[in-house]
Amino acid sequence: MDADKKRLQKELMTLQLNPPVGIKVNGDHGSSLTTWYVEMEGATGTLYEGEKFQLLFKFTNRYPFDSPEVVFTGTNIPVHPHVYSNGHICLSILTEDWSPALSVESVCLSIVSMLSSCKEKKRPPDNTFYVKTCSKNPKKTRWWYHDDKV
Amino acid sequence: MKVTVKSWTAVATWRWVANDDNCGICRMAFDGCCPDCKIPGDDCPLVWGQCSHCFHIHCIMKWLNSQQVHQQCPMCRQEWKFKE
Repeated sequence: MDADKKRLQKELMTLQLNPPVGIKVNGDHGSSLTTWYVEMEGATGTLYEGEKFQLLFKFTNRYPFDSPEVVFTGTNIPVHPHVYSNGHICLSILTEDWSPALSVESVCLSIVSMLSSCKEKKRPPDNTFYVKTCSKNPKKTRWWYHDDKV
Repeated sequence: MKVTVKSWTAVATWRWVANDDNCGICRMAFDGCCPDCKIPGDDCPLVWGQCSHCFHIHCIMKWLNSQQVHQQCPMCRQEWKFKE
């Protein structure tokens, strides 16, 4: 088994046996392990309480040295100043601040935490333009991380 | 009574002395080896950074070689410098 698959297999087992509150990895990934769907619930006491979201993770064979490609997918994309309506997420750990010590679990927890600190549900100011012009892969976007309040 | 030892077989165990059980990069046990190696021990050694974090040498080298701008510790993001 390749190095990336070994780590992914380990992460998958841990997440299925011991998932953090509000996070559930879907069991069916085929044999490749390169695409995961993760169910996520909005945390209680936040603007997203009671909402359910779905994240799509894609891994290259350079994982964990290469960050995973992570987008919201499905029918409910959270309305949040850092989440575009096509599911792309503006979050620095997914590109330039990625570290191989991070994991699917820590990425999920960062996203829950990003949602939880939101004070007002709204789309990013440049949503319409971005969604029209961006690449399908959010890692090809040159992100500007300027707002660390939410 | 006088005993003459004709032969003996020594048995020893070893382990790395690290402040953690698993490598933070590959998540394999330190007493095992990185996913690219087959035999744990001197062929797949551990290295420490000045920040005191520890990794399989093969894992941290792969990470440092993939970084063009900054070379940071995966755990604490301090600039990575090998501990002498």
